[in-house]
Amino acid sequence: MGRSYIVEDDVEGYLSRLCSQLAGPVTGLLIGQSTVQRDFVVMTTRTPQNDESADGGKSVDKEWVSEHARQVSRMLPGGLSVLGVFIISESDAKDTLTTLRQLVFSVENLISSERLWTPADDDVTDCVTLHVNPKTRKTVCRTFDVKDPKSVAKPADWKYQSGVCSSWATVSCCLSVDLMVPLPENMAFTRNMDDCLKEELKVWAQQIERGVCLIDGKKLPEDSELKAGQKKNVRQTISAQLLITPDVQTAADVVQRCGGCVSVRGAIHSRAFLHSNKPKAKLAEKLLKRDIVSTVATRVQMLLEEPQKQNEENKGRKQMEQSCLPRRVFCPVKSTGPLSVCDYQFSDEGLSEMTDRFKEMLDMDAAEEDLDATCEIIAEVIESEATEEEEPAEENEMLDPWRNNYIGVAMATAVALLALAASIMYLSDV
Amino acid sequence: MVLADSESAVILRLRGPLDLKCQLDCIDEVPMQKAISRTFEALRLQVKSESCVLAVCNSPVLIWPNKSVFEEITPDAPFEDIFQFIQTDDQETSGKRSTKKKNRKGVSTSVINLSLMMEATKPGPASAPILTRTVQKSHLLCATLPMDCAVWSSWSDTIKDGCERLMKALTRQLFEMEKVTLQCMKGTTLRVPEPLHFLLPEPNGLVTVVFPRGEPDKELEAQRRELHGQFELPDNRPFFRRANAYHFPNEPYKDGYLRNPHTVLTHPTLDNGKVYLVQGIYSYHHYMQDRMDDNGWGCAYRSLQTICSWFQQQGYVERGVPSHKEIQQALVEVGDKQASFVGSRQWIGSIEVQAVLNHLLGVTSKIMFVSQGSELASKGRELANHFMTEGTPVMIGGGVLAHTILGVAWSETTGEIRYLILDPHYTGAEDLQVITEKGWCGWKGPDFWDQTAYYNLCLPQRPRVI
Repeated sequence: MGRSYIVEDDVEGYLSRLCSQLAGPVTGLLIGQSTVQRDFVVMTTRTPQNDESADGGKSVDKEWVSEHARQVSRMLPGGLSVLGVFIISESDAKDTLTTLRQLVFSVENLISSERLWTPADDDVTDCVTLHVNPKTRKTVCRTFDVKDPKSVAKPADWKYQSGVCSSWATVSCCLSVDLMVPLPENMAFTRNMDDCLKEELKVWAQQIERGVCLIDGKKLPEDSELKAGQKKNVRQTISAQLLITPDVQTAADVVQRCGGCVSVRGAIHSRAFLHSNKPKAKLAEKLLKRDIVSTVATRVQMLLEEPQKQNEENKGRKQMEQSCLPRRVFCPVKSTGPLSVCDYQFSDEGLSEMTDRFKEMLDMDAAEEDLDATCEIIAEVIESEATEEEEPAEENEMLDPWRNNYIGVAMATAVALLALAASIMYLSDV
Repeated sequence: MVLADSESAVILRLRGPLDLKCQLDCIDEVPMQKAISRTFEALRLQVKSESCVLAVCNSPVLIWPNKSVFEEITPDAPFEDIFQFIQTDDQETSGKRSTKKKNRKGVSTSVINLSLMMEATKPGPASAPILTRTVQKSHLLCATLPMDCAVWSSWSDTIKDGCERLMKALTRQLFEMEKVTLQCMKGTTLRVPEPLHFLLPEPNGLVTVVFPRGEPDKELEAQRRELHGQFELPDNRPFFRRANAYHFPNEPYKDGYLRNPHTVLTHPTLDNGKVYLVQGIYSYHHYMQDRMDDNGWGCAYRSLQTICSWFQQQGYVERGVPSHKEIQQALVEVGDKQASFVGSRQWIGSIEVQAVLNHLLGVTSKIMFVSQGSELASKGRELANHFMTEGTPVMIGGGVLAHTILGVAWSETTGEIRYLILDPHYTGAEDLQVITEKGWCGWKGPDFWDQTAYYNLCLPQRPRVI
């Protein structure tokens, strides 16, 4: 028995437009929610043009598609995820299926490599592929089980419906984050900080997963059904609370030497969407906790991906730097009821940069007025004690053109970091 | 330090970990102490904050004590009401008023366990996080404080009052932990402060003391002496060794042995008679335990094990209960037996029991001899005195049997006597009902003894230490 995807009407219109527009194969992502009970596809977005591609975008570039998926995945609040890939092409069905299979595995591998939360037993591991023939408009839908490297395509149903998410519920909360992790004694590279912080984030993620989740003030039994979606077209918001207990430290030495420490302190707004087909409390808890972990991990990752200000080794003297994690800004997805996507705004960015990114990544036309930046406030940062007053201005000029091409930043930053690391090795006298 | 009310029937116990994390720029004594004190102060503020939550274990009841939010119950309800929410594994009590309230023999104490948690969520909007990176050679203090507070409460106390007392106890415990941490600090070596509860004789009741974890009992004698003075306790018996820690009624013993099966018995009432019992806790050792088939020969060994268990659980010794082989090895070491004795199934008597207690535990014992079983009836006074001053279990061997005497009921005027016997010949499972109903632990009359055989009794003496 194959899976059955219920798809928002707007997706049909979007795919149709793509069919009539472009020559050459068009790929894109299918976004929605896949649970044991139901599968929904609520949005799609085409893969952005790759200006640097060798053949001008005529062939399908697996890495490019996967990188797009990774970036998009960061922009999806809880409950929404990249479910699969579509391709619009006239090619032979068999070839296309092979391509789709490769894409879906590659996308899933890249996205899951960044995840800090542990997959649950009841997670759906099927990914969906859609092949649309632009001439005949025929669509073929298949699924692959990405947990099984040898899996074969299984047929699946693809049904359009209007108002799929009009009565979906929104679970949200505002959560304090307070992490402190020691840095090892011989602190030569920025890389060390990255690893320490990532390890600590994993521990913190487990703490969140263990936390007690209250829905509307109560601890509900796992299988109890939430009163979501009982009234059509009524927005439903559920407030959630999370109670945590610290990890029990088992290290024998209570006082340890260190080369400093990294802390992340503040609060985040977390949000998850639940389908309206008698969702269970267990699902709400799972999706919200995953969003909490993802939003913090994503932001830390983004901050670490930024080119670091180069500080010279200053032995003995205390150096302290503060950076703001970017704040979360939401953008409603038109005509899909309560759903929204999100992006992260650094303190030196304006809302126009956000709308540009929504257009590039998700092919969404959003105006600045549509954006909701009220959930989080950018905090004040004190002046860093290291001496580099002249540098910030130059750096901003350097960074702006990169920011517009978001994927470009990710790729280029990796190169920059390597260069930086190389130069540090040369300059420092460790 | 809470007074025990003899009518109060419930202990409120709050447990939960608290993170003690502190960056130490300088490890000189004074700055380090200041940094640690500041961290403790921050923790005290944290438990007084509105994010502090008490969760009643195994129930949906949640309490925010610092903002008076009570989930599932009302603050003015009596504590009894909480019991209907608690799900126990015992099917009979689920959902109904618990039978724990009924008195079995003696006061049956119930425990309500609560967990300390912090609410991580708060009203928005959120102030986006800041990442701070400090590069400096320093030290980091990172430990988990095992908070554990217990207060007496009566059934009719309101939930609100009970929670207030628990929160006060929590703050007090943080102060005590700070004191112990700073006192036991040696350079950069710190011991995590650990609370232990002790049930002291009236009027003190249940008392909580913070000790540095990992510090052996023998290093803490000065602290114990001070505590004995503070609570006006005699200075010749231990009350504050780790083994003396109170065992909460709802916690099963991990080793599976029964403790003090005699407490469920109804003691005999004799004309002008009084009951003199063993003081403290022992484990019931008998045939076939520990996968050792000693049926027919091991009774004195088992009685000895029961006695050893008493010395361990009262805190006089740290070593565990010895096995048959270890007992035999000890007798070889003192020269009482040949090497071939080890691994054999030979019986031992009171003299051997005395020798082993001395060699393995450093405990001296008195030997009492009666030439005929009938004479035991006249030993009422001596046995009564033994239980009053030493309170240790007595091993008695004679005829072909060995038993353990846990107490006597004796009338000074009529001379009537009964003996509370723990029988090591039992071969069954640790079933309290079977053991007490079938008399494996029970009161016996003078005719229990072989009237013509001679008997030796080993009366272990309690060491005069704290």
